[in-house]
Amino acid sequence: MDYGIAGRVAIVSGGSRGIGRAIATALVREGAKVVIAARTVANLDETLAELEAIAPGHAHAIGASMTDPPSVERVVAEARDRFGPIAIAVSNVIGHVIDAEKEGSGPGAGTFETMPTAAYREEFTQLLVSSWALARACVPDMQAAGWGRICNIGSGVAREPSTHLPHLLPNVVRPSVAGLHRLLAARLAPDGITVNNILTGSILTERNRSYWVWLAKERGETVPEVTRDMTARIPLGRFGEPEEMAALVAFLCSDRARMVTGQSIPVVGGGSAHL
Amino acid sequence: MELGLEGRVISVCGPDDGALAACRLVLAAEGAQIAESGLGEADIVIAAGRVRAGSDLLAAADADELYGAWTDVTAAVDSYRAALPRMTRQRWGRLVWIGSAQAKSVDAEADELGAVASLGMLGLNKVVTGELGSHNITANAVLRGGLATDADVADAVAFLCSDGAGYLSGITITVDGGAGSAVF
Repeated sequence: MDYGIAGRVAIVSGGSRGIGRAIATALVREGAKVVIAARTVANLDETLAELEAIAPGHAHAIGASMTDPPSVERVVAEARDRFGPIAIAVSNVIGHVIDAEKEGSGPGAGTFETMPTAAYREEFTQLLVSSWALARACVPDMQAAGWGRICNIGSGVAREPSTHLPHLLPNVVRPSVAGLHRLLAARLAPDGITVNNILTGSILTERNRSYWVWLAKERGETVPEVTRDMTARIPLGRFGEPEEMAALVAFLCSDRARMVTGQSIPVVGGGSAHL
Repeated sequence: MELGLEGRVISVCGPDDGALAACRLVLAAEGAQIAESGLGEADIVIAAGRVRAGSDLLAAADADELYGAWTDVTAAVDSYRAALPRMTRQRWGRLVWIGSAQAKSVDAEADELGAVASLGMLGLNKVVTGELGSHNITANAVLRGGLATDADVADAVAFLCSDGAGYLSGITITVDGGAGSAVF
């Protein structure tokens, strides 16, 4: 199927690894010109080479923090200079970092009774400020064109908090992020801009693998015990692949999905109890 | 209906713009007392978000302003937490958030900042329910919309504080006169 986005300019934050890399790859395959942005330059270079191999001249990489609004604005300006006005913005910034040494700065796991109030703000910055800043910086281009796609990689805990796991912060901040996108959808629909939010489940990424190692240590279990417990909660009986996330995101960013906006769509292998 | 609120001590947190005052009146009429020495003696904490009709997320100037809109959540967190030692000790507590019905059903007139903060609280209520439900502490929300008056809101809050609401936690009651259009 022709998704009708050949030549459109896309930005994918957190685009160097895992789900973000799979999304950038899917968009490049559809003929979009894709700018990936992330903090770690080594990962960016590797992913950029992969994208260039698929479609020479269709990818660009920028090393930057995507949680700091002025830095996000610089990334958007550079992307615009390189390829033209932005038509597609995919926000994919993680929060809730478990092991600070392994995964950079950010708040850890904790409970309501013990979580310091300041940690709420860190998570808010990671998850909400990042997607807000990217949307805000890209919206003027989209409004001028009368066409735009904003898609946020959120989490299933936005709708169904994971109270069986010791992760307070995403449970509290993710619903706000889902609300942000629902409200933007209402505001931006008259401009031909759709805004959607993915409720991500357990996807096979490097980050999730390191998370499962951490969780096993925390519970005094083995990694296979932890992953068995998690897959038992998933009706399809397996974790998802990053490419399965990217398939939905590519559709939502396509011209075909022009009537789909304001939605939070789960990619959780059927593991959502919500109607 | 006997709500079982005689002698319960309540504390409120948030802007004193009508709804919280109405809650104090309704609960006092049921025999509850207003906390005199702070949250540490409260059996019931009622927290409310600020209301900014027509507020616009994209108009926020920077991350500080955006976060400022969300500090209703952290203010409620601090209040709830201050009350927990007593509630846990006595195995009885009621936490109620008063927020925006736009959290569940959006319309063009949305208070966008209020809706985003309320959604954080709905997540928080689920967390608190998971962690503290076994201590007989409940955490719920009244979402205000339509033309609901302060008294309408306060009556729903009083119900959620009552003994009869002891099996309700992590839930929302939308008080909007039927204005919202979402089924779920």
